[in-house]
Amino acid sequence: MEGRISRNSAKGCDVKIKLIKSFGFFAGLLIVCVPIFAHHGGSDYDIQHPITLKGTVTEFYWSNPHCQVFLDVKDDGGKVVNWTIETLAPAVLKRAGWSRETLHTGNQISITFVPSKKGTPVGMLRKVVLPDGSELTGGSLGEQPSQ
Amino acid sequence: MRNRCVGPAIALAAALAFLAVARAQSDRAGAAKANANAAAFDVHDFTGIWNPAPFMQPKGEVNPLDLGGHPNPLPPFTPAGEAKYLANAKFIAAGAVLDCDPFGVSRNFFTPRPFEILVTRDRLVQHFEYYDNWREIWTDGRKIPTDVDPEYMGYSTGHWDGDTFVVDSAAYNGKAFLTWQGFPISESMHQTERWQRMDADTLKIVFTFDDAKNYTKPWSITGFWKLRKDWVLDAHPCTLSAIKEYDDRVNHADKLPGLGYGEPEKK
Repeated sequence: MEGRISRNSAKGCDVKIKLIKSFGFFAGLLIVCVPIFAHHGGSDYDIQHPITLKGTVTEFYWSNPHCQVFLDVKDDGGKVVNWTIETLAPAVLKRAGWSRETLHTGNQISITFVPSKKGTPVGMLRKVVLPDGSELTGGSLGEQPSQ
Repeated sequence: MRNRCVGPAIALAAALAFLAVARAQSDRAGAAKANANAAAFDVHDFTGIWNPAPFMQPKGEVNPLDLGGHPNPLPPFTPAGEAKYLANAKFIAAGAVLDCDPFGVSRNFFTPRPFEILVTRDRLVQHFEYYDNWREIWTDGRKIPTDVDPEYMGYSTGHWDGDTFVVDSAAYNGKAFLTWQGFPISESMHQTERWQRMDADTLKIVFTFDDAKNYTKPWSITGFWKLRKDWVLDAHPCTLSAIKEYDDRVNHADKLPGLGYGEPEKK
């Protein structure tokens, strides 16, 4: 039942949401990410409003077409919501420094993503802070102007 | 009066002589740098892994990665072409692109993922990482056969025009899209590509699409790619089982309860 929770319980996490102030990095990334958002249908993300949550990894699923991070997040009322955060493909993550061993069940992480417009606890990864404090981005599609 | 002019004249002559020497040195340095760059790569060699650089596309062209619904400008559609485009765009917006059909040539190019070029005795072969699509460009002097079966990837031949590799392709089956927006392809489309290695790390390709059924005149897109010497391609085939699994795990999780996905509707 991961991810199949009510709209209200998803909104309950809003109190823990911290809006990202700096959009410069994301803007360039999002421009080239647009095609991938659309190519498998379903999800429609609010790319203008990335959010950051802290929680416990319940599953890290390494697979094409997109990997997935499942994360338990406790809201202020103590209720736990399981979020589904998808990523780009393994090929893209590998070039950003990831491997299938990057995350494990039980890891405490901070994760930044763009949320689904539907109000469900679903998002697309932008950045993760690992238990050791190191950071990994969700990778990029195509060359970036700064490179 | 004459004596007062001697000093400045000598100074001017000295300055001009200095500038001439400096210019000559600068020219020699520039030539040496150009020679060093030229020695670093062969303009006739495209082997390697190339990653798209969409930010380099000239402004004002049709943007093949713009999925915002309003690419500016649109291609010069015929009425029939525009109708097909709108139908394709509706199909894409509905999330129906799940069937793993090959992308065709141009949409593969405009997917923001790398491709590798391999060269054999009689072909230049492209391997597109995304969905593991392959393309052959025959370089043995043959012409596009008139009786070849139409396919998603068409049939391509290539030859050198000086430092430009010119690719002609046809025999498309009309089932793929030109770009992610859903611009249509007809079976009679003729595609021309002019490939140029701009420097050691940059590949430029000008695509021209000639398809009278869908477009009132030939139109072009310019693409750029950067060489990634330290990369290898990763496996990313399109498999229906993986797509279905993803759809079950992520897309169904993105449906609100009670709307027919994941949970039965509450009475």
